[in-house]
Formats: sequence, structure tokens, C-alpha cells
Amino acid sequence: MLEIQHVSKSFLRNLALDDISLRIEAGEIFGLLGPNGAGKTTLIRIVNRIIEADNGSVRINGDLMTQQHLSMIGYLPEERGLYRTMTVEDHALFLGQLRGLSKKDVKTQLEYWLEKFNIADWRKKRIEELSKGMAQKVQFICTVLHEPKLLILDEPLSGFDPVNIELIKQELLEMKAKGKTIILSTHNMKSVEEICDRAALIHQSKKIMEGRISEIQEARKTGEFAIKFRGSMIAFVTALWTSFELTDKEILGDDKFIARVKMRGDNSFEDLLKALIGQVKIEAAWEVLPSMQDVFIDLVNPRKEANNA
Amino acid sequence: MRNSWLIARRELKERIGARSFLLFSIFGPLLILVGAYLLFAFGGEGKQRWNVLISDPTGIMDAKILANEDKSITYSFANDYIELEEFRDAKQFQPFDAMIEINEKVLSNKTAFIFFREKPSVRMQTRLQFHIERRLEEVMVAEFTNLSVSAFRKIKQPLNIAFRNAYDPLDEASDLRGWVGFFFGAVIFLFIFLFGMTILRSVTLEKSNRIIEVLLASVRPNQLMAGKIIGIGIAAFIQFSIWIVVIGVGLYFLRETLFPDLLDAANMNVAQMTEEVKQQTNDYFFATKEYNEFVDLVYERVQFGTMTAYFLLFFVVGYLFYGAFFAAIGATSGSESDGQQFILPIIFILCFALYAGYFALENPESSLVSFFHYLPFTSPVVVMVKLSQGYAPGQGYQLFLSLFILLISAIFVLFIAGRLYKNGILQYGHRIKLSLMWKWLKKM
Repeated sequence: MLEIQHVSKSFLRNLALDDISLRIEAGEIFGLLGPNGAGKTTLIRIVNRIIEADNGSVRINGDLMTQQHLSMIGYLPEERGLYRTMTVEDHALFLGQLRGLSKKDVKTQLEYWLEKFNIADWRKKRIEELSKGMAQKVQFICTVLHEPKLLILDEPLSGFDPVNIELIKQELLEMKAKGKTIILSTHNMKSVEEICDRAALIHQSKKIMEGRISEIQEARKTGEFAIKFRGSMIAFVTALWTSFELTDKEILGDDKFIARVKMRGDNSFEDLLKALIGQVKIEAAWEVLPSMQDVFIDLVNPRKEANNA
Repeated sequence: MRNSWLIARRELKERIGARSFLLFSIFGPLLILVGAYLLFAFGGEGKQRWNVLISDPTGIMDAKILANEDKSITYSFANDYIELEEFRDAKQFQPFDAMIEINEKVLSNKTAFIFFREKPSVRMQTRLQFHIERRLEEVMVAEFTNLSVSAFRKIKQPLNIAFRNAYDPLDEASDLRGWVGFFFGAVIFLFIFLFGMTILRSVTLEKSNRIIEVLLASVRPNQLMAGKIIGIGIAAFIQFSIWIVVIGVGLYFLRETLFPDLLDAANMNVAQMTEEVKQQTNDYFFATKEYNEFVDLVYERVQFGTMTAYFLLFFVVGYLFYGAFFAAIGATSGSESDGQQFILPIIFILCFALYAGYFALENPESSLVSFFHYLPFTSPVVVMVKLSQGYAPGQGYQLFLSLFILLISAIFVLFIAGRLYKNGILQYGHRIKLSLMWKWLKKM
């Protein structure tokens, strides 16, 4: 769907993007990750033709991106605003028509989305009458009104309460199911794990990681296992003896725990289970994969890793 | 183009929907109409009450002057020669605002002098002249004819001789006409400033509330800037047109209702005038004479059709020229307050342009005026002044040349502004510096 090839961009003497290449497949939700100032917004602006790259190219469906392709894109910037004195409907009409829709189509689409979000009575409200979260919803609706094939959302969940975060997440999954491609730039790592298929991490203007979420986590796993059990912690530790190492524990109740264990030597997960059976009552056991939050922190802050080591 | 029009339409809708637009559309022209009314009614009036001493050593006037009392003038008679220095400096003459010297030769040389301390208004001059003239007329009729005064006035046919320049028979080069042009030019600059500031505010608002990024994902910066200037320009044009219509209708009603007699030819009839004067020297009649200058100027001598046509042309092109500056400043400023600071030079230039118009009024033949006439910063107001004064035969091309230069300059400035707009619109939080603007200007 979208191919970014060797894109570089400098502002005066500051290098904002250094030879970034990405390939985003049709129908996937792609997480664009990175710390503040990494260059994500610059990359997104280049894709949206708001600014031009110094080098490299952006292709959409194999064609070099032009102004005409913009109607295929729905863009929700991180720093987004609305005209405070305009009504929700006027806003939708204005932005929808800018994206190539007819007045009639905008009205039809607006009605659909207002009904869907159960906010039909907002239609004639002025933006200044809405709360921040309400305005965010209007912005989201204005972004998707023209049914774009590619959605580029920069921090779409910020400013929403948990209920609305869930609502937006579900919408994104629904759009994905309809074949839309979504680029999600966010610091909300939990949502990346939940809804993204693949992700790339940009740090200090460079791409330092790209891949499927599960593969990224798999690649950075530490061989830890979590055991949820009932019984005595002393009995549990005694059973580990010298073959396994207890790295962390979580007390769930008087005799209920989740313990994290690492193997020593050639011991396997089966050996661990054999050692524990009979000592404690195992309720669940699983391999611990690093959260995207951990992956993110490890990648952008390697000193922490070094310190831990 | 479609996108620019959508932007323009939104701007237009927002401007026209604002309460201030309606208020300015109604009260602006009303204010001008009130000003016009005051000019008509009290134009040129200075001191309200005059204390006048008539020095009549030979008693020609017999200490009489008015058939009716005129409350605005008190006459006193002195049957002595009063030297000018004496009148000027002596303590006993200080209460008098003017002295009229009637010497013994007045009946033969028909000359009297009026010495004033403070120049009387046109209205007052007319009155003084009228009073003295009527009284001396009575004396002369008695001295040189066997007629009664009323019989003399019946047969008297005053003849108005107007001195006119052969090259300017309509007296188009008069100062008063020039002031009308200056007024037109000033209105152009008022609108340019008001709506230029609207462009600036609109751009900085879009920057500060960050909707600019959403817009730029659909439209190019140049389209956005063009749409904005066009939309706000149309709003200005509409308001302008409302002003013209309201002022036009207002002037018509003033003419038809408040001052109907001033322009009624029947009331200008000289015979009737003298008949009235003989019976009653009423204020209204005096008013008629002096009002003529303004009323005649506004209703008869200003070619509103031509003026309005060029007025609109220079307004549109001048607005594009200056509007581009306002848009560029808005786009390149890092914050709203930053933009406000940078607007000062533009205000200075606008004020300078007004001064250039005034300079053209006072020194129409100056070579500097020719320069200002073509300089795009000043041409809208200077051309208006020149247009109202009238171009010399064969020099009408100067107007079109000036318009052409303004148009070319507007296109050039729009191009430059487009570049600054494109490169500056997404920059926040910085301070405007000329060096930074230069960098953005060089950047494609």
C-alpha cells in the first residue's frame, strides 16, 4: 500500500530523518513508534506532502505519491485543531469537501458517524461548546468522513477517557477488517500490542527496528516463565533449588502468587514443571514475552540495559 | 482551484457571520453620513458670536445696518478714524472681533475693509458682506437715484461672474475636490488595514490552534493563502459595496429631505433671493449660500461613477498587494504577539501612504508626487487624489500605468509571500528575524 524509500530530511543543520525506508502492507495496522523528537511527525508530514523530503521517495500502490493521492488518505495530526466558532456540521462539510467529497456525501457520512458514536445531537453545536474529548471525536470523524484507504493517525487516543479509547480501538479494528490500512503513531504501547500487526521504531532520526509485533517480542524475550500457583512461597523456592532462578514475584493473596523464573544451565520448561509439581498447586504457566513498553525503553535507552547487566 | 474556493468560502462565511461585520457595515457609513451632514450644516463654522466695530467717521451708514437683528453679530459704530494699530492694540478695542472701515470714498470706489483678529468662517464672511452691502446699497440708492430701495431691488439683477481656468473649466483641480480623492484613498487604506489585520489574525489563529496541519494535508500552502486572501477580500468587497450603497442612499435622502431647498433651482432664483432679503434677513437664506460649496461639491462636482470605478479597482489590487504582506507576516510569525509586533512597519507604511496622499493634495505638481503616484505602497491614495483633481489632457495613461505597476507588484509580492507562507506556516515558537525570512525566501 505505502512504500517509503530512503527518505531523508534536514531542517537547516538538523537531521530529522536519516535514510528511512518502510513498507506498509494493505489492510494492516502499522505502529510508528519512537520517542519525542525522533522524526515520526516529520515522516508523517512527508507522506502527507505537507513538507517535502530532501531525498528518497514515497509510493502509494506502486505510484509515486502526488497531490491527487491525498484524497486516499485520512490524516489526524497529533497537534490538531478545529475552528472554535464553527458548528460540527460546518466543520465536517468544510474538511470533507476539501478531501473531495460532495456536500451530499459529507452529510450522509456525517449522519452515519454521529449515529454510530451516538452523538447526533451535536450536529449544530459549535466547537467551543464541546469538551476536549468531544472535540477529539469530531476530529476523528472528520478524518474518516471520506472513507480513506489509508489512515494516518498521530496519537489518536490521547485526550480520550478509557471508554472512548476502547471505542476508537474497536473502530480501528473494524476499519482494518474492511481492508483499510492504518498507520498509528503513538506512545500508548498497550494499544500497539493490542491492535498493531507490525511496527517500526524510529530513534534519533533512524529506523532502529521493524517487524511483526509478535516477532519483535519473541526476538527480545529473556527466557523467563511465569507460574501462577497456590501454596507456600518457601516450598516454591525450595523446589527451584539451584536449577532455576526466581527473578520476580507477585502476591495475589495469602497463598496465591505469580512467580517469574529463569532457567539455569540446560534446564527446560518441562524440568521446571516436574520440579514444582507436588510442591505447589500450579494454576497456570506461560512464557514471558517482553511488553512493547519494555522493548521501547530497551531500544531507546540502552544504558538502562547496560546498568542492569 | 476548488480547494482555494472552499477556503475562501469558509473565510467569507466566517467574516460575514461575525457580528462585527454587520455593525461595521451599518455604523461605518452612518458615521460618514453624520460627518457629511455636519459638514453640510456647520461646514467651516468657527466663532459663533461676533462683536464687530464699524468705523464710520463721516456717518455714511447713520449708525444703522440691519433691518432685523442677527443674533450672531453685534455691531457697534464709531464716528472716528481708528488706526489699524490702535484697533489691534488698544485696550478698549479688544472686545471687538473685527473692525469694518467705511471711509468717505466708499460710495465712489465701492471698497470697504474688514480687519479681523481671527479669520471669519465662510458663513460669517457672507453675513458681514451681506449686511454691509445691503446697507450701503440703501445709502447709494438714496444718494444717486430717485428710486425707492424696494423698487431698486426689484430691478436689480446681480450677475454672477465665475472665473474659470480654460484648461480646467470645471475647476476640478480645486483643493476641495482633492480632499474628496484623499477621502476615497483613506477609505481604501482603512479597508486594507482592517481586512489585512483580519488575514493576519486568521493565519495566526490557524497556526495557534493547529488546524493548519489538517488543512495542509489537503491543500497546498499557496492555495490556502490564495483562498484566505480571496475570501477575506470578498468579505471586504461586500462590506465596501454596502458602504457605497448606504452612503449613496444616505446622500440621496439628505438631498431629498434635509436640504431639499439647497438644490432647488427655484430657491436659487436671484429675484426671489433679494425679495426675501428685503423682507426678512433670515438665517436659512444665508445658510443656502454657503452650503452650496459642499453640497455642490458632493452632489454636482464629484464624478462618483468614475471615482467609484477606480476606487474599487485600486482597492482590489491594493488589497492584494498589502494582503500578501499580512499573510506572509502571519505565516512566518512564531506566535500571535510576534506577528502583532511585525505589523508595526506595515502600519508605518500605511500611514506614510496617507501622508503621501496629503502631500499630493498640497503639492500636486511636485516630482515627488509623481514618484508616489507610481510607488505601489502609496499609489492607491495618491491616484485617488490625482484623479479627483483631474489629470491634464493626454496624461490619463498615468493612471493606467500606476494601476499596472501596482498589479505587477501585487503579483510579485504574492509570489514572495507564497514562498514565506509555505516555509513558515508550520514553524512555531520562534521569533521572526529578517535573516530567517531570507532563508525561507530562498528555499523552494
